[in-house]
Amino acid sequence: MGPLETMRKYYEQRDLAAREWKAGGGKVVGYVSDDVPEEMILAAGFFPQRMSGDPSSNTEEADKYTETFYDPSVRSILNMMLTGKYDFLDFIIIPHSSDSILKLYHQMWWIHRINPAITFPPVYLFDILHLPLYTTGQYVRDRVRELKRKLEEWSGKTLTDEALSRAIAIGNENRSLLKTVAALRAVEPPRLSGCEALRIIGASAFMLKEEHNKLLKQFLEGSRELPARKGVRIFIEGSDLDNLQLYGLIESCGALVVAEDSNWGNRYFEDPADESCDPLEAIADRYHLRPSRIRIQSIDQRVRYCRRNVAEARAQGAVFFIYEWDPAPAWDLPDQKKALEEMGIPTLSFDAQKYSLSDVKKKEIKDSVQRFIQTIGTRQ
Amino acid sequence: MNDSEQPSAGGRRSVKQLKVSAEVAKYQRDWFKATQERLSAGEPFCLANADAPHEIFLTMDDIPVVMTQWWSAIISAKQMSGYYFDGMNKKGYPRDLCRYCSLPLACAMDHRPEQAPWGGLPSPTLLLAQLSCDVHTKIFERMAREYKCAFFPMEYSAPRPIYPRWWEKLETEWKEVIGSDVLDLRVEELKGLIRYLETTTGRVFSHKKLTEIMALENEQEEYFKKIRDLLASTRPCPVGLPDQLAATMNLQWHRGTQWGVDHARMFYEEVLERVDGGEVVCRDEKVRLMWIGRGLWHNTAFYQYFEEKYGAVFTNSMYLSIAADGYIRDSLNDPLRALASRHLYMGYCLRDPEWQLNEAKRYGVNGAVMIVASNCIDSVGSRFIEMVLEEGGIPVLPIQADVVDAREWDDEKIQAQVSTFIEERCIPR
Repeated sequence: MGPLETMRKYYEQRDLAAREWKAGGGKVVGYVSDDVPEEMILAAGFFPQRMSGDPSSNTEEADKYTETFYDPSVRSILNMMLTGKYDFLDFIIIPHSSDSILKLYHQMWWIHRINPAITFPPVYLFDILHLPLYTTGQYVRDRVRELKRKLEEWSGKTLTDEALSRAIAIGNENRSLLKTVAALRAVEPPRLSGCEALRIIGASAFMLKEEHNKLLKQFLEGSRELPARKGVRIFIEGSDLDNLQLYGLIESCGALVVAEDSNWGNRYFEDPADESCDPLEAIADRYHLRPSRIRIQSIDQRVRYCRRNVAEARAQGAVFFIYEWDPAPAWDLPDQKKALEEMGIPTLSFDAQKYSLSDVKKKEIKDSVQRFIQTIGTRQ
Repeated sequence: MNDSEQPSAGGRRSVKQLKVSAEVAKYQRDWFKATQERLSAGEPFCLANADAPHEIFLTMDDIPVVMTQWWSAIISAKQMSGYYFDGMNKKGYPRDLCRYCSLPLACAMDHRPEQAPWGGLPSPTLLLAQLSCDVHTKIFERMAREYKCAFFPMEYSAPRPIYPRWWEKLETEWKEVIGSDVLDLRVEELKGLIRYLETTTGRVFSHKKLTEIMALENEQEEYFKKIRDLLASTRPCPVGLPDQLAATMNLQWHRGTQWGVDHARMFYEEVLERVDGGEVVCRDEKVRLMWIGRGLWHNTAFYQYFEEKYGAVFTNSMYLSIAADGYIRDSLNDPLRALASRHLYMGYCLRDPEWQLNEAKRYGVNGAVMIVASNCIDSVGSRFIEMVLEEGGIPVLPIQADVVDAREWDDEKIQAQVSTFIEERCIPR
């Protein structure tokens, strides 16, 4: 099996590597979003498993306890926990990344309180805050130190600076390699589809980084032989998409997703940690000050990020796709659209979208995308 | 809310009975008018979320502060929310976005203050909010753009549900309940806010004055606690929810002043007088109902719909209860830290199912009607409130509606839902 196929396998079977690790006697720490320092989990000797939802299954169990009107990808994660899909996790870290993710922590607490028969692995709430202010930075540093103590408690071992520095170096290498992969989408003509790119990037969160780095190097070694791709170049903005439904629809219309503003896509590997300073300081700085975050960043910052990345990816059009009950990107939408249209970039918006797209909805989206692509073709 | 907020169309006006409700409502109107005049002379003015520390501004020679949620309630009571939200939706903002916190922005985007309630909100010189929701950054940034003013954000540390029965401990053990790290951060932020105000307004912050303000607040909130305890223990209910909301909230906007203390005392004395005189909301009280969630500002008359037909009285809501349980701090040797502790977890406390159950039992209600707004993340967790209350023997009716946006409010349908709920689950057999 080649590197691309291997990464595809781990992207699709997201628990595979973690279960293999577990079978070998290791312990697994599940975490939500890209706001948890994977490097620290790795340095503590655990397998870091990013938790994601599953649009192919329902949320029947979660719906017994919670409302249906919050981030549907997070609701799906809760459902997966309640149905045993995450039974291989030994510990869980939930960051304060968004209202819905924070609610997930409270929901787990209350579900156990109401029904003690339902248990979860030990959970740690990582109260990461994001205002780019000195006072917040000091608070985040303390939380990072607290997380270190928690991981040491879980592992029974000291998390050393050496181990953390090594994990940071591995993580940075991964980011650097993924950046090279991203360049294969940004070139003209692209050498990689959006679906392939999301699988490659996503696999990084479901495998040990060293293994992923090996696969990336193998893949990049053969990348000169990748065929040129044809299609209208599309940028994706909006909710963080942990699955391929939208990309599949867009690319089935003869377009190519060349970049995105998503923490399951290009945003995942931006901003390496500083390897020249104290490793805990480097972690605190990176996770506090990373420049692009949908929820906490101002609309102006989000507009600048969107414009810059559309330009760098040489996108010909932008598709906004926002889940129902995911209000933060919806507040950015009018200004981002306006800014792109001022750049001459046409936009297409889908707001209040379901996490799991029905066949009818898929057809609607596909029809809209086809019309949109034709319009771009006509304009150019 | 108060008698003066007459709906221009659609919504219905509640009937109030307390003299103090009318008096504090009039004071609020007069205060707003006087503030408009003060601001025309170039004074600073802050528009803030309700969970922001207005005490800092009061300390600094009483810089006026208006709360976004109060302004939302006024706009809503004037039946203008639909107009403003329609305008915002036409500008490309999807309809399912949150309403309560964004209505002032929708109003600001209209750029016709003369059409707004009470002569319109003056342009603030500062916006202030703790980021207790994903979209506060966005809403306040957009509002800062509309008003061409600064936005001062404060962090919102994650609340942890580790303190059962916090309402028995906040007053004396607030440092332990909130936690030192979180308090440290908020104190630093408050110092930053003070420095910002000192440098931009030239006004002086006095530690001594803040201590006095915090002491006055304790005094005022102690009256609220006495009122709450009196209302909870009196049958039939002597003061209905519309009066409670009007008196409590208009007083809360002026907490920390001698006026606030004096009128909280008047509120208490008037309630006591009604209790002693046997005056009641509904002579034939059969059902006591609790309202869970924010006030239904576009239709406060709703709370009185069921009195005549069923003898069903809304006896309580979170507003008076949180005033009683969430504000008092006993350690005023460090007033800034005590102030820091006040709003950090208030949103979480308000939605704590066990506190809601405790209040339901305190008031001896036969059922609870819970408003659930799908556009507001605060409503996520309502199911736990429902489960805990039902487990505790209190029937709960969730109703899907927004508290300030009447566009989707179906009066007939909701009345029918509540009527069925009263008939089938609340009337004692």
